[in-house]
Amino acid sequence: MDYIANGFLKALNLIVSMDMELYKIIALSIFVSVSGTLISALFSIPLAIFLGLRNFYLKKVYTRLLYTFMSTPSVLVGLLVALFLSRRGPFGWMQLMYTPAAMIIAQFVLVTPLMTGLVFNIVNKRGKLIEKTGRLLGARGIDLLILIIRELKVEITMALLTSFSRAISEVGAVMIVGGNIKGHTRVITTSIVMFNSMGDYEIAIALGLILLLISLLMNSILYGFKGDRQ
Amino acid sequence: MNIRLKNLEKKFYKKPVLNIENLEFTKGLTCIMGSNGSGKSTLLNIISGNLNYENGQVLYNDKPFTKDIYSSMTLVEQKPYMLSRSVYDNVAYPLRIRRYTNREVHTKVEEILQNLQITELKKNRGDELSGGEIQKVALARALVFSPKLLMLDESTSNMDKKSLENVERIIRNYAQMGNTVLFVTHDLNQAKSLTENIVNLQEV
Ligand SMILES: Nc1ncnc2c1ncn2[C@@H]1O[C@H](COP(=O)(O)OP(=O)(O)O)[C@@H](O)[C@H]1O
Ligand SMILES: [Mg+2]
Repeated sequence: MDYIANGFLKALNLIVSMDMELYKIIALSIFVSVSGTLISALFSIPLAIFLGLRNFYLKKVYTRLLYTFMSTPSVLVGLLVALFLSRRGPFGWMQLMYTPAAMIIAQFVLVTPLMTGLVFNIVNKRGKLIEKTGRLLGARGIDLLILIIRELKVEITMALLTSFSRAISEVGAVMIVGGNIKGHTRVITTSIVMFNSMGDYEIAIALGLILLLISLLMNSILYGFKGDRQ
Repeated sequence: MNIRLKNLEKKFYKKPVLNIENLEFTKGLTCIMGSNGSGKSTLLNIISGNLNYENGQVLYNDKPFTKDIYSSMTLVEQKPYMLSRSVYDNVAYPLRIRRYTNREVHTKVEEILQNLQITELKKNRGDELSGGEIQKVALARALVFSPKLLMLDESTSNMDKKSLENVERIIRNYAQMGNTVLFVTHDLNQAKSLTENIVNLQEV
């Protein structure tokens, strides 16, 4: 049992001593997940608003499909992206496999259905009311889009944070397309898997604590937002 | 603005709600009455261009719906939605999207707030108001850009007596200035005191 307590102490030591390898891993994790989430937001939010406001043929079927993709296992997303990016795949010539770019793409694919689904849900409920109010006051086009985003900014931010949390905590997709290469594509979750299997518990625990800390931070921000609303 | 309805038919899931052969609204104030569910709100939503219909025609100055008409009319809904920003910014919104300068916005908003006696609310959040306050702010937000056609859907139902007198005077004046005002109300005495033009919607 000693190794657990020891592991904890050494982990704390690594964190406070600003261990270079540890911080590189953390920085890449945050960079990849923030990028994947933000790029997805540029795409998901307008799409979700459009889908939420319009009534179109087979809307229910599309919605079901979207909700299914929201909970796709991340290894499957990794596999799918790898098929496209691997040397023999359609985008193999871009040589993106095992690079941070590939990881960003994978996380983009992973969180896009989630973010689209979450925002879609919000827009379906309150967005139509906001749209109608805007129209009645004479807004159209881009003014209408800005109005809806501004009115739903709290909910949209919550969807962003939820997506980021999913991105940074997943391991399957980044493992497959990143390959956990030291100093290049190694992120928090893939390191935990690897250091654990090597018996290097200190650094695994340290990274686990950091991940927990990030989760905690995201949750407090989310909770703070929710509290504001009441 | 002159609104003419011809053979207008509206159904919700095959249930007929409106069936109007011929109806015309002209400049000035018209009160629209009718029992619950007779289609008053439906009618205003159709005229505002926010609801489609199965048959018939709605003409504005004898022409179909256009962009110009879109931005020179408004409907104050039965339950107005307040934007989650200050009362001032709620009322300023229609002017801002019409690209008025900040100075013009300021002058117009302050003036309308004063008219409606809600200046002291201007810093309150729009989504934290009482029912009567919401109705006054919604009316200010509609009047501020001087729509040629103003539609009010039971817009005074939660107001106290003092506010009501003031608001009725404002509505009457606004109609006298050459605008078209369609006012849905349940109160026959209110309708009679406001105008001789009273339309009764029959249930279909
Ligand atoms: N969106 C809707 N879907 C289905 N039925 C509706 C809808 N809106 C209104 N109705 C029905 O149409 C009828 C007229 O409604 P409404 O125009 O709101 O009446 P009023 O404003 O005169 O009380 C009512 O029977 C109501 O139930
Ligand atoms: Mg009604």
